[in-house]
Amino acid sequence: MFGYVRPLAPELKVKEFERFRACYCGLCHELGKEYGAAGRSILNYDFVFLSMLLWGNRESCDYCRRRCLPGLFRKKCVCSSAPALTTAAGYSVILAYWKAVDNRDDSRGGKRLLARAVCRCLNRSYKKASALYPAFDRSVRERLEALGALETEKCPSLDRAADQFALLLSSASEAAGEDARRVLEQLLYHVGRIVYIADAYADLEEDLKAGRYNPVAVRYGLTSPEPDDRIKAGVRETLLSSVDLAAAALALLPKSYWTPVTENIVLLGLPDMIDRVLAGTYVTAGKRLPKRPQLGQNGE
Amino acid sequence: MQDPYKVLGVSANASDEEIKKAYRELAKKYHPDNYVDNPLSDLAQEKMKEINEAYDTITRSRKNGGQAGSSGYTGGYSSGYSSGYSGGSAYQQAGGTYAQIRSAINAGNLQYAEQMLDSCPTRDAEWNFLMGSLYYRKGWLDDARSFFQRAVSMDPSNGEYRQALNMLNGAGSPYRQTGYGPPAQQGGCDMCDMCTAMMCANMMCGGCR
Repeated sequence: MFGYVRPLAPELKVKEFERFRACYCGLCHELGKEYGAAGRSILNYDFVFLSMLLWGNRESCDYCRRRCLPGLFRKKCVCSSAPALTTAAGYSVILAYWKAVDNRDDSRGGKRLLARAVCRCLNRSYKKASALYPAFDRSVRERLEALGALETEKCPSLDRAADQFALLLSSASEAAGEDARRVLEQLLYHVGRIVYIADAYADLEEDLKAGRYNPVAVRYGLTSPEPDDRIKAGVRETLLSSVDLAAAALALLPKSYWTPVTENIVLLGLPDMIDRVLAGTYVTAGKRLPKRPQLGQNGE
Repeated sequence: MQDPYKVLGVSANASDEEIKKAYRELAKKYHPDNYVDNPLSDLAQEKMKEINEAYDTITRSRKNGGQAGSSGYTGGYSSGYSSGYSGGSAYQQAGGTYAQIRSAINAGNLQYAEQMLDSCPTRDAEWNFLMGSLYYRKGWLDDARSFFQRAVSMDPSNGEYRQALNMLNGAGSPYRQTGYGPPAQQGGCDMCDMCTAMMCANMMCGGCR
């Protein structure tokens, strides 16, 4: 359930897009530096968003030029290491590890082998990260366990299931400063809720085929993977209400260097993602950033 | 005290018009209507106060000595503010238990409110409305909507219930953008063609430089 929280690139200014890309690269380098190649492989947009939120009210960002595998021949402009990037890197390792453990225990066959391999690769990184952030580690483990229990008992409430993942994400707010913590808690709660429900919707077809629990299917009593317009409208509305609340919280965060980008992500990126997920046109696999801002679907 | 110009996000030599515009935009953003039943409403309230004060300070200093000229504007917003917050007469009229539950929800004491609601013998419209408010406050928006819907269908004449449901439907939300349109407009081959054409055009622009 990663990669849902991205900016709507055509609406960013070019400098903002370049900064966002530098932050993305910065997190990648941070993961590489702290956790090696295994760490780098788990890089995703959601934690780029988190590092921007954890930036605090610092009005600047230091950049440096670095080389990496995709940019072997031309150095790229990258955010230098910063406390927010270090924290986000550690958190993403912890979450990726527990997700892999979850997959290993839940799936069968090839997927299980794959998950087991991922667990083994991440094991050392995880040990380091969990020693640094024991509170987040505990919270992730507990929330995923509770979520697993709700999934086993086929919880009929969409909100109750989403609540656990939302609380998991909102516990990342503990890394923020005193003044921002409460706001961030609420903001991340709703981002987590959106990600969980959107991901469940995107997985409808696969889950129904495999006979797995899917909170959206249970909530609306779905048996076929093509929900009618009424259900789509219901899911869209409940997700957009979360966007409203996330936006209301974001407005209360102290202004930072990243505010233009984080506003774009919440106000435009999330609604756009929701519409695409509902239309079945959202692509999560392409993790790498486009070379230049991509055109919107309306050709705008 | 903070620099009032910084609070409004304008430069010190901005025109009166620009300041008014900046103030209006901020006041719309932090208006209590956007934070009804929101756990962060107290922070929004503080922010609103800060903005009002900054605007007042600027207008007063520009008028050289505090004429009443500015208060027309500020008054407009602050009065809306307080009336929005007192929540109308329904608060006072509600019977004992429900009034207690209401104040518990408003104070953010959700566990207590939930216990009280669970122990209520009747499941009338007000009960459904309060359950909805409780879930809204928790961020459980799908369940909240079901309860609000039930409250409205049990008592269609109640404006407060309808207002709550409308709020969940995004009515009056300052954040809903129309630029990227509903899903109905999206997809389709012609859009792809258009995208490709524009990407080609974009590439050529790059080449010519």
